[in-house]
Amino acid sequence: MRKIISAILLIIIAGGITLSLMKIPFGIPKTKVGEYYINKGREETGATNIVTSVVLNYRGFDTLGEITILFIAALGVGAILSLGRKRTDKKEKIEPTSSIVYTGCRFLFPILLLVGSYIFIHGHLTPGGGFQGGAIIASAFLLIYLSCPGKRVNEKYSKITESLAGLIFIVLGLIGLAIGQEFLFNFLPKGTLGTLLSAGIIPIIYIAIGLKVGSELTGIIDNLIEKS
Amino acid sequence: MVNQLLNPVLLIVIPLGLAFSIPLFGLISKKIEKFIPTVALLFNLIVSVILIPKVLVNPINVSLGGFLPPFGINLVAGPVGILFTALIALVGLLVSIYSWDYIKEGAKEKYHILYLLLLTGATGVVLTGDIFNLFVFFEILCISSYSLVAYYSDKAGTESAIKYLIQGSIGSAFILIGIGLLYGQFGTLNMADIASKINSIHSISIFLPLVLLITGFGVEAAIFPLNAWLPDAHSSAPSSISAVLSGIAIEVGLYAVVRIVFTVFGASSFLMFFLFLGVLTILIGEICAFSQDNIKRMLAYSSIGQIGLIVFALSINTTYGVSGGLFQLINHTLSKALLFLAVGYMIYRSGSMNISSFEGMGKKMPYTSLAFTIGAFSLIGLPPFVGFPSKFMIVKAALFKHEILFTVLIALVLFATIIEGAYFFRVIQVLYFKGKKDDIKQKRAPASILIPLFIFVGLIVFLGIYPKFMTDVLNSAASELLNRLDYIKSVIQ
Amino acid sequence: MNFLNNYIYYIGAFGLVFIGLYILLVKKNLIKVIIGLSILDTGVFLFLIAVGYINKGTAPIFSKTGLNPKNMVDPVPQALVLTSIVIGVAILALALTLAIKLYKHYGTLNLRKIKEQRW
Repeated sequence: MRKIISAILLIIIAGGITLSLMKIPFGIPKTKVGEYYINKGREETGATNIVTSVVLNYRGFDTLGEITILFIAALGVGAILSLGRKRTDKKEKIEPTSSIVYTGCRFLFPILLLVGSYIFIHGHLTPGGGFQGGAIIASAFLLIYLSCPGKRVNEKYSKITESLAGLIFIVLGLIGLAIGQEFLFNFLPKGTLGTLLSAGIIPIIYIAIGLKVGSELTGIIDNLIEKS
Repeated sequence: MVNQLLNPVLLIVIPLGLAFSIPLFGLISKKIEKFIPTVALLFNLIVSVILIPKVLVNPINVSLGGFLPPFGINLVAGPVGILFTALIALVGLLVSIYSWDYIKEGAKEKYHILYLLLLTGATGVVLTGDIFNLFVFFEILCISSYSLVAYYSDKAGTESAIKYLIQGSIGSAFILIGIGLLYGQFGTLNMADIASKINSIHSISIFLPLVLLITGFGVEAAIFPLNAWLPDAHSSAPSSISAVLSGIAIEVGLYAVVRIVFTVFGASSFLMFFLFLGVLTILIGEICAFSQDNIKRMLAYSSIGQIGLIVFALSINTTYGVSGGLFQLINHTLSKALLFLAVGYMIYRSGSMNISSFEGMGKKMPYTSLAFTIGAFSLIGLPPFVGFPSKFMIVKAALFKHEILFTVLIALVLFATIIEGAYFFRVIQVLYFKGKKDDIKQKRAPASILIPLFIFVGLIVFLGIYPKFMTDVLNSAASELLNRLDYIKSVIQ
Repeated sequence: MNFLNNYIYYIGAFGLVFIGLYILLVKKNLIKVIIGLSILDTGVFLFLIAVGYINKGTAPIFSKTGLNPKNMVDPVPQALVLTSIVIGVAILALALTLAIKLYKHYGTLNLRKIKEQRW
């Protein structure tokens, strides 16, 4: 019975969406805002990756909201699991992993950190950015958790990194406000197009976001492994 | 320097910055963590109250990053926005003072950060002028409320939180589909820009995004078929969070629905549907509340009923109706927060949430019971509290339309008010007139719990006796919602 | 066939959306419901990116000199999806944490049995 009602409801919604999609042809340029960003993006922001200039400069406020949401998720996971039993309470014998896993993960760990850092430092030149790089860094730490049972990331340092990185973003925006322009104004010089030190405050913000996302996702993984 | 501090961006950025820095303060000393949300909300309250006279003349537009709309995000601080910001800051401030002593167990640092971020998300929703930014701040509000409902991680809390989370996420997916359909047709994400391109809602390609957006935001606003999560979530959360959820979160969800329907789409013909939906919500909310034994569930169903009343008032679509709806919203926020705070302390002292366990509390905790009584009277609409002028405005607005339909509907609303009075009087009777006359030892509540209760009572009485204090702001807010062309002109010159 | 060629991405994206909605409405196990939520989100993201596509367009990155801006796809939906993926991850993390706690309290993940709160 429940299945039949759900199916009918979904068919009605599908019909409505099909009729509505007739107005949105596929593959035809339709927006004036997108064209403006592509044409003027390089001179106004100095980044060659237009998606980065949209994410961090034109719609930078959305990115501020986004890192807040990830912060809330890390806090929520920590708060909900905080009254649970810690895994170190049980006196179980932690079995060591096999030597291939152990060696392979420890070999890959610095390489993954390097790849992640490269992706978020070059966010304004190549595809990528803070979130992608941060996720790769967190997966490097996940490999260490899987291969060396018993090793933990120091919680105090990861908390300090998280908070400092978030504050750097907000302080950079407030500096824009303090010098007489609007919040998140790009006040550093834009440099030559295509080099690493270009695009004003964009690389600095992406480095902060990369470190923040990496430490937050590592914190979530740490909470899930240790306190569940 | 002072003029720079009055920038509406700081209403969102300063609390956000302080929330990010709470862990750093926590490393210095664990005792100052609970004072930081209070400081942030005090700042918000002062700035928004100073800004109120300025925005009544001219709404303030802030273009972030230096790019003009529609190429950048903009904040629109108009009468509606600053009124809501002041309300959020006031209620948040008082509940944060209450939480100094109320939250004793669990990960307290995380509670205070999540609480401040919930209010920051709510402030962001009411101040923004861009539809995707609205979605992002709305998600900040929702995700922090999912985490805070499950804060005590007991059986009831986790069950309510998972149901709330699943329903809320389906709503968010619908909002995203609606935003995608709107962007595909109009090519812009700015609310004023989309509004200037929509002339009628009769074609399916505009009607469908409207329905999807209303359904998505309506889950948080607790409009009739979408409010199955509300009784569980508001009754299982810690009482300070129930106060903020009932007082702020569902009102901000309702603001999002109202902004979409009135300003972006201009869908006056859709409001007839909301009229019936509002009355249906009131009746269901009040009738379900009448049969409850658990006091927090009773208050949660009463919130559903009050939201129905506000929706009914807003769909009357005249200045009187919309200002009456906004005034009733203020009444509900103040009274329901007061009720939840008082009930929270009473539950702590008596140990259970059943109404029958509150016998004799009128003598054991006189101040708290008095606060509960005043909150209940104000919600029902008795003079001299703020519920009376607001309900009076709504009844007058409905009767001014001179149509049989409105007269019948307002009669149903008054019938629901009688049921409301019945269940609140039942609780007051248990508080004051039952109970054994043995141990009348009084134990006064700590000061940090009593001070917010007194300030709420003071505000309710003041606004009830002197409603003209608010009439200017309410009328400007109502005219901002009703005249969408002025809004469009003020954003896109 | 030309019709299908034009609309295949929309059909695929909304197919995922409806599969996800069906799972959310019908299935009983909490983990399956969370997976359905994830599928629903993926469908919506695919739809958002498909809205911004331009025929024979390429990524909006000026990595070499001399790239024609007229051939680039719209960068705005990509920015929207970037933000929304992070929101989806946050919700997924919270949902899985709640599932862990629910299993501890109730011993089962069957949503029809986790119904202690009645009227």
